[in-house]
Amino acid sequence: MADAVFQLGVPLFLLALGYFAGSMAEQSHYKSIRVRELRLRRMPTTNLRRPPPHWRVESITLVAGSAVISVDYFKRFLAQLRGFIGGRVRSYESLLDRARREAVLRMKEEAVQGGFDAVINVRLESTNIASPLRNDRGTAGVEVLAFGTALKLARSA
Amino acid sequence: MEPLENNVSLEHPLAELATLVLGIALIGLGILAAAWLAVEGAVRFLPASVEQRVFAGATGRRSPELEALLERLARHWPESAYALKLGIVPLDIANAFALPGGQLLVTSTLLEQAGSENELAFVLGHELGHVTGRDPLRGLGRGLLVSLALAAIGGAEGASVAGSVAALGERSFSREQESAADRFGLALVAAEYGHVAGASDFLRKLPDADGEASVAGRVVGWLATHPRSADRVAELEALAAQRGFPTQGALTPLPPGLRGP
Repeated sequence: MADAVFQLGVPLFLLALGYFAGSMAEQSHYKSIRVRELRLRRMPTTNLRRPPPHWRVESITLVAGSAVISVDYFKRFLAQLRGFIGGRVRSYESLLDRARREAVLRMKEEAVQGGFDAVINVRLESTNIASPLRNDRGTAGVEVLAFGTALKLARSA
Repeated sequence: MEPLENNVSLEHPLAELATLVLGIALIGLGILAAAWLAVEGAVRFLPASVEQRVFAGATGRRSPELEALLERLARHWPESAYALKLGIVPLDIANAFALPGGQLLVTSTLLEQAGSENELAFVLGHELGHVTGRDPLRGLGRGLLVSLALAAIGGAEGASVAGSVAALGERSFSREQESAADRFGLALVAAEYGHVAGASDFLRKLPDADGEASVAGRVVGWLATHPRSADRVAELEALAAQRGFPTQGALTPLPPGLRGP
């Protein structure tokens, strides 16, 4: 009986922990993302390969931002259940959304820090840096890398 | 420009959890119920002769005195389709098991602790009751089913949760089988000795049947978990009163060859 309590209790505890800690982390992350996106919204960021012809480019550099977000126990449990019957893996959507937006933010922050005015030719890459499937251990996490060409524009006199 | 945020679903994660758990549980229960019925059908359909051919292996030390006792008891159950086999296994717990194929096992500790032949006869009768109910075969089928279900679920978390739930479900189910086996055993004892004195002695010795049975359960995978021994004793007394079995009578001593190994 104690065995059964233990076997049921540990996953339930981990589920609760994952749910509460994961929700808190996610909410505070989204708060920070929204504030910073608002602050940086004026910087043109585009995936165009060339700057618009009328821009007078003074200097360029590569800027990159990368974010690694971990899954929590609750999200993984939801995704596993989802894996039985198919459909949108909603619990992982916010994970990728956060990673993508955080990576872009970091890239833009790097550009701002260097005194650049815009980022063009932005590319996004994503990698899962650990798979929980290989040996049932490990933490599933996703990395999103955003990189682009930062431009410094000549101020028109 | 406010970001749209349309890459994330608005559904609350707990709502999704509830939907997924309930939906999958319903589907799983449906499949399990169908498989359960299939096992039940197979148990009914499979002739005892085939079962005995499949589970032919005999285990345990043989004892002519014990076999003679079993034979006397089995004579009150003439319609048995099984050629019964009986063995003694050296285990530290006092218990007896019914295996598929009409094979009975008695632990050496049970023999050492037995105070009378009547007590032993009830234990054997109880296991014979499992054989009549075809419980070992059914248990094997169900065990197989549970293992398959767990294998299908696969994930470590899922398996441990489902394992505990399955164990609880199996426990509550087998109490029915245990009670039926008790009733059968008591009727055999009454038919053999003319009274049921001493029949519940073995049950009275068990401090808490749950603890004892869980140890045994690990030894023999499909062994049913027994209900609380106090409840069983009460049930036996009620049955004896109802069927008019005399509860007083002279106890038959154990045959000399059965005292210890």
